[in-house]
Amino acid sequence: MPHLGETLAARRRSKQPSLLVYMMAGSVPEERFLSTVDALKTAGVTGLELGFPFSDPMAEGPVIQQAATDALRQGFHWPDLLRLLRASSQRLPCAVMTYLNPVLQRGEARALEELHEAGGSALILPDLPVEAARPFRALRRKEKVDTVLLASPATTPDRLALLVRRTEGFLYLVSRYGTTGAGEGTTPSTQGKEGELGPLVARAHELRPDLPVLVGFGVRSREDVERHRSSGADGVIVGSAVQTRLSTGRSPEEIGSFVASLLG
Amino acid sequence: MPEWYGSFGGAYVPETLVPALKALEEAWRTARRDPGFKAELARLSREWGGRPTPLYFAENLTREIGGAQIYLKREDLVHGGAHKFNNALGQGLLAKRLGKTRLIAETGAGQHGVATAMVGAKLALRTEVYMGSVDMERQKPNVLRMRLLGATVRPVDHGAKTLKEAINEAFRDWITNVQTTYYLIGSAVGPHPFPSIVSDFQSVIGKEILRQSKQAWGGHPDLVVACVGGGSNAIGTFQPMLRTPVKLLGVEAGGSGSGLAVGSASLTKGRPGVLQGMRTYLLQDAEGQVLETESIAAGLDYAGVGPEHAFLKESGRVEYTSVTDREALDAFHRLCRTEGIIPALEPSHALAEAMRRARDLPKTARIVVTLSGRGDKDLEVVAQHAPPG
Ligand SMILES: Cc1ncc(COP(=O)(O)O)c(C=O)c1O
Repeated sequence: MPHLGETLAARRRSKQPSLLVYMMAGSVPEERFLSTVDALKTAGVTGLELGFPFSDPMAEGPVIQQAATDALRQGFHWPDLLRLLRASSQRLPCAVMTYLNPVLQRGEARALEELHEAGGSALILPDLPVEAARPFRALRRKEKVDTVLLASPATTPDRLALLVRRTEGFLYLVSRYGTTGAGEGTTPSTQGKEGELGPLVARAHELRPDLPVLVGFGVRSREDVERHRSSGADGVIVGSAVQTRLSTGRSPEEIGSFVASLLG
Repeated sequence: MPEWYGSFGGAYVPETLVPALKALEEAWRTARRDPGFKAELARLSREWGGRPTPLYFAENLTREIGGAQIYLKREDLVHGGAHKFNNALGQGLLAKRLGKTRLIAETGAGQHGVATAMVGAKLALRTEVYMGSVDMERQKPNVLRMRLLGATVRPVDHGAKTLKEAINEAFRDWITNVQTTYYLIGSAVGPHPFPSIVSDFQSVIGKEILRQSKQAWGGHPDLVVACVGGGSNAIGTFQPMLRTPVKLLGVEAGGSGSGLAVGSASLTKGRPGVLQGMRTYLLQDAEGQVLETESIAAGLDYAGVGPEHAFLKESGRVEYTSVTDREALDAFHRLCRTEGIIPALEPSHALAEAMRRARDLPKTARIVVTLSGRGDKDLEVVAQHAPPG
């Protein structure tokens, strides 16, 4: 499979919108996970983010928290991730999303080498601040695994410039004040207001015209996808809306047609 | 205000929180130099909070142990019944300064939740407290107190349903509501600048100990002992003494003490890692998943520890050890009977270790134990365990 970052950049050049899907590795049996990946590919998805479960996922809403708990309870480990990544990356370009501690305990160099060997193109760590990303960036040349940085509606213009300069592969723009899946909940930690993204996207493109900007967190409808596209973003990332279907036993076909409906 | 304590500390947080942490650092930088802020903090600490707290010679306990003299720093007498007041008041005033209208907090033993609820009532800030449902059950009186003080208590039902999960949920709320909300963290943990802010507000404990020991016997204590959960009462005690010759000892919770159990002793049984915004010692498995902890003391039942303690352990300036549930319970009962003081289970851990050390020290030596809180909240837990034989 081609490299995720290169795929996204090529689609930006040819003005084709991208869509990435996040699913928690290990939250369902491997066979069902991979059939779902096949269905997503047929539906026209650009790439995948495989979540690796962490015990304390600070940026996650209830759906992905539960998926992580399920995966850990089933005894899902790093070698299982590598096996699933190897199979998934033969179908679609893949990134891995987890938290910093599992990667630190594996060792940054070893983790990136293993991800690269298993066909991974990128690593996304929501609790890795740009100030601490240097060791990962230093490994990029050898392992060709991008370290993707996140920006948010709270990001100031100066800081956005820094993030745009340092991110690799694409910029992950968090759509709202909130956790993943935000915008639908009823408790103070699951609500969350969407930010005004247009100016952030425009500024990122102005600073680095070749850099794809993808919007994620709370994307769940065709309307969301179109709104983000009209803000100038190169694509969207759908996480909780797919994971909730995966976790509640929807078939690969149902999930495929849900995602196809987002793409229109 | 250090962001790093050696290789520990930092601010490993989602990007949405970065501007809020920078604004907080700036607010604290100006507040700590503002005579008006300091005067207000001092006035409320004195008139509303009951500071300074006494340094009390535990004469009967000393006689019973038959070694070094044991003194208690009476943080159990602060308003609300624990040292948590010192930090909650200071940060509440900072929240006001930042123009925030809502306070959130996590709590384990409920003492920090109570302190935050008191401050929310006093400063007219809406207050919501996250608490693991296991802790709500074992620290019921504090749940009732928070509600009486006008706070909303939000149960947290993930994982072990204790302090770590409550902190996660408070962070999720903060990420969502950071524009209006101040996260009043309850220990010297989390991302920079929280550990150093909490340490600054709690250092009143250590400063008073130094002043009071000078008044009482014209010198320093020989040994100072404090319990370590997240580490706020301990760092507040130790911080002003780091450049003195006083020997410093932090006591973690060893839990049931059986076989492979790690209790909650991150410093004595953990390894460095990143959790909840900080690089510090963690109880974790080989793949970096954080372990479930256990302790009879809800306030010590936590898999991490403040980053400054991680540094002080590595530098060797502070010694850290752990004490089991049973040893803490024995110390609890002994203080009740000898001194007429019902301590919280958290400082009962410090007390247990202090009694052990006192036996091996000469009668001229002086030990100060930070008695971080009173034990009213723990009566039900204590009643479930057999008294010492
Ligand atoms: C009375 C008392 N002591 C100690 C602690 C432990 O916290 P820290 O280590 O931050 O002082 C708590 C926490 O709830 C407490 O209530």
